[in-house]
Amino acid sequence: MNEFNNRIDAQRQVLRVVNAHQFVEELLGLSRKAIERWLDVNRVKPSEDVATLLFDISSKLFFLSCKSQEQVTEEYGLLSVEIRSLRVSLEEALAERASIISSL
Amino acid sequence: MHIYAFGSLCRGEVSFASDVDLLAISEGFDSRFDPDVFSIYSYQRICQLWNEGNPFAWHLASEAKLIFAFDKRNFLEELGPPSEYLRCVEDCLKFEHLYAEAVASLKAETSNRVFELSNIFLAVRNFATCFSLGIAKVPNFSRHSARKMGGRSLNISDPCYGLLERSRILSTRAVGAVVEQKELDTCFDEICGISSWMEGLLAEVSANERV
Repeated sequence: MNEFNNRIDAQRQVLRVVNAHQFVEELLGLSRKAIERWLDVNRVKPSEDVATLLFDISSKLFFLSCKSQEQVTEEYGLLSVEIRSLRVSLEEALAERASIISSL
Repeated sequence: MHIYAFGSLCRGEVSFASDVDLLAISEGFDSRFDPDVFSIYSYQRICQLWNEGNPFAWHLASEAKLIFAFDKRNFLEELGPPSEYLRCVEDCLKFEHLYAEAVASLKAETSNRVFELSNIFLAVRNFATCFSLGIAKVPNFSRHSARKMGGRSLNISDPCYGLLERSRILSTRAVGAVVEQKELDTCFDEICGISSWMEGLLAEVSANERV
């Protein structure tokens, strides 16, 4: 797979991690606006780890998340390792959050 | 520093769903530009895109409007037309792959509907744009390029095309009502049928390359 398709797949993997959890509304994308909508609808505070990790991943995948015409171009850096690591942290943060909520 | 507008605003394709595409060309990092608002490129990278005949270069060359120039010169206009576009096969295959992966995900799971439908809209649009530039020689950078190809246009009903477009807007600008499973079920056969349209055009692209 080329860089472009790899990056879409990286985005897909992140959404799968988030949407495997039960929320009022799914995360619809990784644009800043999509993340803000998800935080708002699901009452997740922007200061929570889950939110900061999502914004961090989003900024690294920015070209994929909202500038469709640019996606025709191939000017993406190799951030896949870093994104994989952030995805693992996101999984942990979501699990921890779910466990706190279930204990309340 | 040069600032341009491009995209739907410059084509007059303004609708409720339109956003404003802005390009900033600067030398090195410039913290004044919010990457959520601007597409930010260096002069060197723009020249590279021009030399590659990249579709984005053709897009800018065909419609970008100068808003500000520190030197009062129109940098993009002075570059002249980009080089010939030679990566049509490669790009069309890339977008066909994006489409196929999204359909496979929709078949395999019930979550991420909006994201995958958004990918399909992106794949269809960019596939059509690359085809129009590489084969039809009538570049079309419209959001609806797939439906503006004359006899080669994507044959899809308005409601199903609307579902794809709505998903793209949801996934990027986060505006609109979330797509329900029953809406997807209604359009699923039509969405699967997009593969035949892509296959037909790819055959043309491949034949053209052999020539």
